[in-house]
Parts: sequence; C-alpha cells; structure tokens
Amino acid sequence: MIRDKKYIIISVLLIALLMLSIVLSIGFGSMDIPIKDIYATIMNKMFNLGDISRVKQSTIDIVWLIRLPRTLLALAIGMGLSVTGIIMQSIVKNSLADPYILGVSSGASFGATLAIMLGVGVSLGSNYIGIAAFIGAFITSILVILLSNIGGRSSSTKLLLAGMAVSSIASAFSNLIIYLADNKDGIRTITYWMMGSLAGASWDNIKILIPIVFLSTLFFMTQYRVLNLMLLGDETATTLGMDLYKYRLLYLVVAALNVGFAVYAAGVIGFIGLIIPHIVRIVVGIDHKKTILISGLTGSIFLIWMDVLARTIKPGSEVPIGILVSIIGAPTFIYLMISKNYNFGGTK
Amino acid sequence: MDLNIKNLSVTIEEKKIIENLNIDIEAKNLVGIIGPNGSGKSTLLKTIYRVLKYNEGSIYINGKDIKVMSLRETAKEMAVVAQHNEQEFDFNVYDMVLIGRSPHKKFLERDSRDDYEIVDEALEKVDMLAYKERKYNSLSGGEKQRIILARALAQQTNCLILDEPTNHLDIKYQFQFMNIAKNLDITVIAAIHDLNIASLYCDEIYALKDGKIVKSGSPTDIFTEKLIYDLYEVESRIIKEDGKINILYKPY
Repeated sequence: MIRDKKYIIISVLLIALLMLSIVLSIGFGSMDIPIKDIYATIMNKMFNLGDISRVKQSTIDIVWLIRLPRTLLALAIGMGLSVTGIIMQSIVKNSLADPYILGVSSGASFGATLAIMLGVGVSLGSNYIGIAAFIGAFITSILVILLSNIGGRSSSTKLLLAGMAVSSIASAFSNLIIYLADNKDGIRTITYWMMGSLAGASWDNIKILIPIVFLSTLFFMTQYRVLNLMLLGDETATTLGMDLYKYRLLYLVVAALNVGFAVYAAGVIGFIGLIIPHIVRIVVGIDHKKTILISGLTGSIFLIWMDVLARTIKPGSEVPIGILVSIIGAPTFIYLMISKNYNFGGTK
Repeated sequence: MDLNIKNLSVTIEEKKIIENLNIDIEAKNLVGIIGPNGSGKSTLLKTIYRVLKYNEGSIYINGKDIKVMSLRETAKEMAVVAQHNEQEFDFNVYDMVLIGRSPHKKFLERDSRDDYEIVDEALEKVDMLAYKERKYNSLSGGEKQRIILARALAQQTNCLILDEPTNHLDIKYQFQFMNIAKNLDITVIAAIHDLNIASLYCDEIYALKDGKIVKSGSPTDIFTEKLIYDLYEVESRIIKEDGKINILYKPY
C-alpha cells in the first residue's frame, strides 16, 4: 500500500541520517576531528577492520573514549524519551503528557537533591547523584501506579491526577531541603543537573542504557495494536477483545525503567519527549505502527545535534542541553503546527 | 449467533439496574430493546458486550457461558456500535476501520492483503469508501457512526450490538443505518429510542422497564396504546398498514 511505502522510505532515510549523524557529530568539539579518522577509529575499534596506526593516539582516545560514548548516549536518550513520550500520551490518552508525567522528573530531582544537599548515597560511587535520581524516579513512578489503583482499577484520569499529586509532594520536599540547607553551591549543582547534560557519558552507562532503550523500543513496536486501542479508550478496547489494564501496567513499568536510566545518565532533559511525538504525528499520523520507530529515530538525531551545539556554541564550556532543546525545538514545533494546521492529534 | 440470557441481575453501586432477566435470541434475527430512559437498556447491552460485570445469572453465546470466554473470543462473536466515539487523537478513517481486525490478530501478526480487502468491503458496505483517506474527526455525526459500523463489520462477527446507534442522526441516516444493519444477515441486537424505527426493522422486540421485561414479541404483537402508555406515559394511536404499524403520538 502507498501509505506503508511512505513509512518505509521515511524510516530508511532516518536510519541513514542517524548513521551519518553519529559519524559527523563526533567531529565537532573543542578540537575538530576529520571524518576519515573518525571512520577509521570506529571501524577498527568496533569491528576490528582496517588500520589506524596513522591516526594519533590522542585522536583515537577522544573519539573512542569521549565523543562516541557521548553521541551514543544522545542517541539512546533521544530515542528513549521520544518513545516513552508517545507511550505516556497513549496510556493517559492525553496529548499533553510527556515521559515525566508520572512525577518522574520531580522524583528524580528529589533523589538528586537528597544526594547533592545531604550527601545521601555518596558511598554508591562517582555517579551517586544519578543513582539517587534513578531511585527517586523509579519509586515515584511505582507510587503513582499504586495510588491510581486504589479504589478500583486505574484509568487515564486517575493516573494523571496521581502523577500530579505525587509530583507536587516530591517537589515540595526538594524545595524544603533546598530552603533549609542554605547551600549556594548545592543549589547551583541542582539547577545545572535539572537542565540536563550528556557530559557524564561513558561506555559503562552506554552498556546499560543502549540495550534497555533498544529492547523497549522494539518491544513497543510490537505493541502497536494495543497502543492504538488505548487511544480509543477502555470500552471500545473491550469490545475489540482487549483488556487494557494489564498492558497499561506493563508499559508503565517499561517506560519508568527507560526514563529512570535516562535521568541517571543525563539528568532531566525536558520537552523532547513531548515535542518529538507531535512532530512525528504531523508527518505520519497517529498510527503506532509508524510513530514509534520514527519518533525514536527522530529523537536520536535531534538530540545528537543538540548535544553538538551544547558543546560547541560557547567555546571552553558547555551549555545545558535542556535549554537548547527548548530554544530550538519549540520554534520548530510552532512552525510545523502553523504550517500543517496541526491539532495536537485531536479535533479542530 | 444464538444468545441466551438466564436470570440475569446487574447491580451498580448497590442499585439493582437489571433484575432477573431472561432473553433468548435466535440467530439472524434483528432484535430491538425499547424502554424509557433509565430502564436498563444500555446496562443490559453493556453487560452483554462485557463492559459491565453482572452479579447473578448467566449469559450464553452459542451455548457457551461468556464467563469462560476471553474478551478476544467474544470480540470474534459480537461487534459493537455505541455512542462513545469522540476521539482526542484523530485516526485516518482507514486506520480506524482497520482496528476492527484486532481481535483476529495474533501477537506480531502483520496486517495482510485479506485484512485490507475486508476493510475496503466494510467501507463499501456503509458507502464510505471515498472517505478512506479523511481524518475521522473531520466527519459529520452520521458519517462517524457509519465508520464505526464499518469497523464493527471488519470484525466479521455473527452478531452486531447497536447501543442506541441512530441517536443524533437525521431521518435519512437513521433509515440508511438500519437498512445496512438489516441486510447483514447476522444477529443484530439494538437498543432503539424511536418506536417507529423499531417497529419497521425489528423481528422481535423486548420492552424494558425498571430493569424487567414488560413484554416481548413481534412488533405487531407488542405495540399497543396501553404498552406505550405504561412505558413512557404518553398517549398514542396505533395505525396498522400493510402489516406494519405506525405510531402517532398525542396530541395528534
């Protein structure tokens, strides 16, 4: 069918663009690196092909130990947040939802606040802030899911409301700690952390994050029928043979895992999980058979280039990536919204 | 599809909505459920299509208790056209109808050429094939309802449940909709408000009041001035013409 052809062409183009972005993005930074060196290093280190004796060891180290992990982290987080954005919007049947809707970002920042201000979890190693944030994020998600199941099965509305309530509590406690601690450096660290950064990329966190993100994206791609039914609501889904309740729970846990690890590796990067699903819907419609893969790829490419900007726009230092995502993403979104007469997936 | 309901009672928030109800529906009949607002028509249908749980009694589809059937199994037996069809997210008409194939699809099974043909046929039957690339939310009320009917047809079931399907439709579309349903040659169970529509199309009618069946039978058997007064507290006059009945309401 014609519609599927368009989808396949877009997917193939995006995959090609993603590959190209990975190689090209590595060239940018405090020191520019020629593409042929990048290519040679990746081929040699990853597939044991070719000879890299002519490439300087320092270049190899920058490519292999710093820039490539960073690009891959951008890829994983861009994909993870964009895909969970779609999933969350479908679960709560609301186009305003984002990956952090279940109070994840407040939970994560509560964890991070405890770690930064009170030193909770210092014994957990160098990324103890990330670990504390992950635990905070995961606990809030589970709490929201449990809360929304009190007094009968959870529904989209109950999930949204429980998310808001838990989120407020977590923010209130974070603010209370910040207020009582009176620690200016700590406040600065928290603010910086809340704006997100990919500077903490390493092969260690890539090894965890990439499998989680790829597997859950693949998993959600197989779930397109259920996800489409979610948009039609519980009653219609029942008449079409599907009890959404257990799927909602399962998807929430997978999504929470994704977002939790994203927060662990890079703090809270806002907006991307809201905006990429909408941009993709403008182009391919709302059918989940298409939106999941395309959102994942688009999110990856977008975040890779936002990170290139973040590390090159101001020489010698880094601009928090969350700021760039909003500054560039929002106008793009507004432009598409106006030019395509888009209704947020909904009625005019 | 045969449907047998035995001693069914449904209680919602401690209020008995359906009480000790018995219905036997033969395959390929068009069966109407009539009754005033709050009589339990929708509750009865929702219980049959499993959105509501029942407390006592049993429902059998082709002799099989629905309690032992999965939702997927019942979705292959009966399809539903209801009123709750406003969408926050806007599907293409074609995708909307394609979703009707869901109960027939196993995990990881893709849509096949057969599915596309079934969807085209369903759209053809409701005369909406020309609209397949349109957005669902851009359609009028009557068109939306026909798309939902097409989705139900794509389910390829032996039974169709219509939960007040012609509300909000003008007369032309009411007739068109009921004609399509009548010509399907499958069991149709419909909650109907318009008594003249019910008398024109139904083979059998169940009159419901306060969760109990007051009377049942063919349209000519059950429609009397007294029954209409008992149900709706409205005076009427019934005219029989060519074996069909026409109900005039007072003041006439």
